[in-house]
Amino acid sequence: MQDGWNKPVPAVEIRNLVKDFKTSLKREPLRAVDDVSISIEAGEVYGLIGPNGSGKSTTMKALLGLVAPTSGTCSIFGKDSLKVDSREDVGFLPENPYFYKHLTGIETLAFYGKLCGLRGAMLKDRVGELLALVDLEGARDRRIGGYSKGMLQRIGLAQALVQEPRLVILDEPTAGVDPVGSRQIRDLILKLRDRGITVFLCSHLLEQVQEVCDHVGIIFKGKMVKSGRLQDLIAIEDQTEIVLKDASPELISEIEAMVRRSGSAEWLHSGKPRTTLERLFLRETSGEER
Amino acid sequence: MTLAKTRKLPFARLRRIAVIAGHAFTQLVRMKVFYFLGIFALIAIASNFFDLPQHDGPETLGDHGLDFLRLIKSWSLGAMTLFSVVMGIVSTALLLPKDVEDRTLYTILAKPVPRIDYLAGKLLGVLLLLFVSLALMDGLMTVMLQARLSVVLEVQTALGNARGWDQASRESLRIDTLAQGPTWALQGAVAAVFFRAAIMAAIALLVSTFSSSTLFTTVVSFLVYFIGHFQADARDFYLNSDRAGTSSAARYLATAISAVFPDFQLFNVIDAVIQGKTMELIQFVKLTLAALYYVVVYTVASWFVFSDKEF
Amino acid sequence: MKRHYKLPILATGLLAAGGLRASWEAPFTTELRAAGLLAKPVEMGTRDKIGQTSSVVALGGLRTLVATFLNLRAFSFFENKRWDDLAETFDLIVDLAPNTIYYWDSGGWNLAYNAASYYRFDSELPALRRREGWRESILRGRAFYERGAKMNPDDWKINAALGRMLSDSNKLTDFPAAAAAFKASADTNRAPSYVRRSQLFAMARAPGLEAESLDLARRLYLNPSNRVATLSCLLLALECRATPDRPPLKVARAIFESDAAAHDQLSDYWVRVRERYPLDGVATALQELEKHLAIPAEKSVFRRALQSAEGPDDWFRTR
Repeated sequence: MQDGWNKPVPAVEIRNLVKDFKTSLKREPLRAVDDVSISIEAGEVYGLIGPNGSGKSTTMKALLGLVAPTSGTCSIFGKDSLKVDSREDVGFLPENPYFYKHLTGIETLAFYGKLCGLRGAMLKDRVGELLALVDLEGARDRRIGGYSKGMLQRIGLAQALVQEPRLVILDEPTAGVDPVGSRQIRDLILKLRDRGITVFLCSHLLEQVQEVCDHVGIIFKGKMVKSGRLQDLIAIEDQTEIVLKDASPELISEIEAMVRRSGSAEWLHSGKPRTTLERLFLRETSGEER
Repeated sequence: MTLAKTRKLPFARLRRIAVIAGHAFTQLVRMKVFYFLGIFALIAIASNFFDLPQHDGPETLGDHGLDFLRLIKSWSLGAMTLFSVVMGIVSTALLLPKDVEDRTLYTILAKPVPRIDYLAGKLLGVLLLLFVSLALMDGLMTVMLQARLSVVLEVQTALGNARGWDQASRESLRIDTLAQGPTWALQGAVAAVFFRAAIMAAIALLVSTFSSSTLFTTVVSFLVYFIGHFQADARDFYLNSDRAGTSSAARYLATAISAVFPDFQLFNVIDAVIQGKTMELIQFVKLTLAALYYVVVYTVASWFVFSDKEF
Repeated sequence: MKRHYKLPILATGLLAAGGLRASWEAPFTTELRAAGLLAKPVEMGTRDKIGQTSSVVALGGLRTLVATFLNLRAFSFFENKRWDDLAETFDLIVDLAPNTIYYWDSGGWNLAYNAASYYRFDSELPALRRREGWRESILRGRAFYERGAKMNPDDWKINAALGRMLSDSNKLTDFPAAAAAFKASADTNRAPSYVRRSQLFAMARAPGLEAESLDLARRLYLNPSNRVATLSCLLLALECRATPDRPPLKVARAIFESDAAAHDQLSDYWVRVRERYPLDGVATALQELEKHLAIPAEKSVFRRALQSAEGPDDWFRTR
């Protein structure tokens, strides 16, 4: 997508967003978001991280037009968030979503699809496709009231994708989901990235953000304290990691000696890399699950 | 994208509103409201076995049963009024807060759905529920009326033969009796019940855009209902120009109240129809337009408040 | 827009919409009132008396329903002979449902017939009190009927009931008023044919209306279905009064189908003394007919006992 200047229009452009909430008549208004600016290019996966109450959800809501900024602008692919047009290109999965319990999975997706203007055969195909994508075909005729947390998140993601948006906004997509479910959601996010869909998510589960996002922003007490490419931010500048396979102890001592001889580098640590608890869990539980 | 282009067409807009309306309707139906209709039917059938005290005045040829017809109409329309007003207010009062609490509202508004479509859809869903329920109750009432009417007419014919009335008198009595049975005017009265409930639903919608509490919305809406009924009297009293002693503040207030609150006395035509009067088509059309005016005004007001409400 | 501007703008908008509404609502209301589709608002006094819950229901738009239940209450007052409560209840009922003819009919009947009858036969009160009660009930009933007739000018039943009561010889008769009531009823063109005949019968007994009575009697006679016994006999009496020279027997033969029919009908007419129908020429005609029909003296109608001519003075004698 290009604008007149031959520069691609950013998927999300938040400029100097400020949002104040009135708490009570006497006290000072609460500044939930204080001069936050975020720019997300098309195709990126952006993670907004911060502690609870730091203004993540408010920023997302401002982007979706659910909340009007006190000052500053938000736009999606160049369209102002306060206009309904901007919502054509975006899908939203709110935090801890509830869907209408009396509808089945397939009815829920059909409902949202019809709201976006889909109908007939196109709607049917789309719904089927999405159910396959989020791996809920087995539960398509079950009422939402009977879904587990992970299934709710996945149907929520499916609903966000129903009109084939170019941007997907996820508010705490893996909060409260078990590790297997989390893994599935993360895989889905990566699949979306592969399709070229921009993903804007916020979370306070940092390891998961680390696995998925290319760009991050850290928000604290309403202010953006750090933002940039993930790899750049978390690289410990002065340290290097080398992982070897089938290396003999002699080889390792030789490398250690080489480092000692260089004088400028320092040998910090060698040993077996540890697996993560998560990987162990998945390995153990995958036998029964699949 | 083709979807984006078609989104703004009026047809697409209507379809969107229809989706939301249909969904609100099924949501309400699954709250088991129709069980009330079962009770209504039971009372209807049971009441057939009760008889009213009759007086046998001289020359009363056909009044046997005419009072019963009036009773059927009276309490059917009473039950319909009660049900439709309560349903209209309570359903509307809970729809919006429920969506906000469940956060499903976010998922809908995050789609390209204009807020007015959302409001209109919810209101139409409630109106559809009211329409279907009233149609069912109307059907039952009409069947019962028709059954009783046939019996009454038979009795009248027999008595007329026995007492030797001439054809013209019998015909005139027959016409009077038929006017007490199911007539088009009676259907018009049922429509008036629907209109009244529709107006109340629109008011509940307006109040619910302000308040997030179902209870508050319900209570305020019922209050508006009663004010709407006696505001005609109050208006006549306070604005009567030759009444000395009313302060101008009271006059202004009375005028303001009568402007903002609905005037439900127009719908008292229902009482007249129960007593056997007919309403002409043109009057019915005007009544429909009046109801439409109210609903539109209150819905637009709701949209005004809701359009930049923050969640 | 700023949140604190919202409320004033909304209030102004609603007021404006309301003002606009008044422009078509007021004429529409007047139109409906004129068509009789909107009743007068319920009186304050009525609302007090029917209690809060009922007021709420009535206010909620269903006066007729409250009226129906009040009717049940009225019936139990009737059974317990509480006439004052009954009268008051009926006043409430007709305030709520002024166009339901049945309630006017029922209320008037309860007052003028049931209550009066109670005072005449059942009450334990002394004679003068009973007479007063009887009189008052009838007058109340009359007033009730008259009010109902005024509120429902298109109705035939209430006026007919009023006329019937005013020509009832067991009550306080007022034949001119009865005739007027029957006329109003018949003039609606919805009444059965007997109402017009009743008008004639009342007119005939009202002093000063002889010429009109004869005129009406002749007109009604032209229709064979009107030739009930009373009308035929009355026609004879009126004709004989108008033309005293004409022999009554000739008139009778012109009116009745046969001498036997004439004799039967005139005999019954003759004994109905209490109803005070004109009797000009009836005695003569009967004598002639008896001669021609060769009726033996023992079976003569003149030997038959007449209806008792008792009145209120006789009914309310101190026991």
